[in-house]
Amino acid sequence: MLLDYDRLGWLKIALLGFTALVAAFLLLPVVFIVLLSFGSSRWLAFPPPGWTLKWYQELFADPSWIEAALTSARIATMTAILAVTIGLLASFALVRGQFRGREILRGLLLTPMVLPVVVFAIAIYAFFLRLGLGGTTIGFVVAHTVLALPFAIIPIATALEGFDKSIEDAAIVCGASPLQAKLRITLPSIRIGIFSAAIFSFLASWDEVVVAIFMASPTLQTLPVKIWGSLRSDLTPVIAAASSLLVALTLALMIVTALLRRKLQT
Amino acid sequence: MSVEAQQGIAAPRVPAGLSGLLPALILIGLFFVVPVLALLLRSVTDPAPGLQNYAALLGDGTYARVFFNTFLVAFVVTIVTVLVAFPVAWMLAIMPPALASILFGIIILSMWTNLLTRTYAWMVLLQRTGVINRALIGAGIIDQPLPLINNLTGVTIGMVYIMLPFMILPLVGTLRAIDPMTLRAAALCGASPLAAFRRILLPLSLPGIAAGGLMVFVMSLGYFVTPALLGGTSNMMLAEMIAQMIQSLLNWGLGSAAAFILLVVTMALYALQLRLVGARRAVGGA
Repeated sequence: MLLDYDRLGWLKIALLGFTALVAAFLLLPVVFIVLLSFGSSRWLAFPPPGWTLKWYQELFADPSWIEAALTSARIATMTAILAVTIGLLASFALVRGQFRGREILRGLLLTPMVLPVVVFAIAIYAFFLRLGLGGTTIGFVVAHTVLALPFAIIPIATALEGFDKSIEDAAIVCGASPLQAKLRITLPSIRIGIFSAAIFSFLASWDEVVVAIFMASPTLQTLPVKIWGSLRSDLTPVIAAASSLLVALTLALMIVTALLRRKLQT
Repeated sequence: MSVEAQQGIAAPRVPAGLSGLLPALILIGLFFVVPVLALLLRSVTDPAPGLQNYAALLGDGTYARVFFNTFLVAFVVTIVTVLVAFPVAWMLAIMPPALASILFGIIILSMWTNLLTRTYAWMVLLQRTGVINRALIGAGIIDQPLPLINNLTGVTIGMVYIMLPFMILPLVGTLRAIDPMTLRAAALCGASPLAAFRRILLPLSLPGIAAGGLMVFVMSLGYFVTPALLGGTSNMMLAEMIAQMIQSLLNWGLGSAAAFILLVVTMALYALQLRLVGARRAVGGA
């Protein structure tokens, strides 16, 4: 009864009402920030006395915002490429390898996802200070790749587990080299996993705040560091404008993901 | 041909498998394990060899307060998140697919939206003169604005917001795996809805609740961004204190020791979670 949607009776109304409230709670900040970015009040009065685009103009007139966004995009792209490549190789070994300690190694590679980021952030900060990599693009990319690797391995390994290896073997029997079989049969079959891995590891770097705060230098700032700095000084509506663009980007990413998934699955 | 000989033929696969792991192991070994171990070493050598950093952390009332705050917030956030997430996951598991996909869309949008963006929105919403206080005053519910920010209330609201998707999504899986027949059988045998909930639905979803709740608790313990922005200076949480010790006070010894305590607690709880759900499913929900 309790798991039959049509036979819940009054309970269904109560639960649906509660669910609608939670959905509203989840949507509230996202919708609010977009509305706020068009509001004319510098003091973030809401509902705003009028509507304006001036915060977007201020945002685009300030080269440091643009530069921070470009830096983030550059670091996140390099991170995604590295994490997917390393994660792909590792996933093949983790899923197909027959060696002792496989589960332990899997656990080790996924640990960066579990360890509080602040612990990793100060550890890698100290380490890079000694190596002279603090505040460099390479330092950022390496640190973010460590954090992104679990997000690359999980979807790829899951896809690979669902792929029937005998298809790859059949290609080899028919004369393909093992590498050819992997490149032309296996990789296309697990492309949804690879694609998810790329999105997740890009986002892991793009949204990363804690390591970035420690790693950033006056000349190298990612977008989250820039937002963080502005948030700590004042709550200017320019942040709302920047945030709304990030929301738009998230929506675009969701739509692209949904469309691609549908296309890839058929 | 013995079994050993057959294994001998299969043997070349082993190094081939391992070589694929090499880049990942080098990356994680050199840039994760080594730095974290170096930090641990620093906690017992900086400024002088010994355990004085740990003694200072565990013996001081100020730090004890930070530890207490951290566990309190993580605990409250976990309880609230579980209570809010359960009915939503329940509905998601059984509602018509069209409705469910809208709800999933909202959850994913909230989860994928930049963390700072969401926290910024809460900073503005919860201000003294913010929308929520104005609405409550306007509705005549309160006379004076409630202190919703720069305290543990603000931190709890912001954290529950962030943790909800991490609780809802795995719980939907748990609830979908329950056979509706068990509940129909209970109803046929005369169980009231409350009895069926208490004696069947709740116990069957308990593994999912425990696993998700533990994950939320662990994540909340080490959370930095939201407490730092929505919390006050007088009730700091552990991650913020660690960052401050390193960044502002340059006290590496004390900071590393605090970080190591956080690491040990987190890893112990993570190990417990692995026990509960098995290694694969524990981190598969992301």
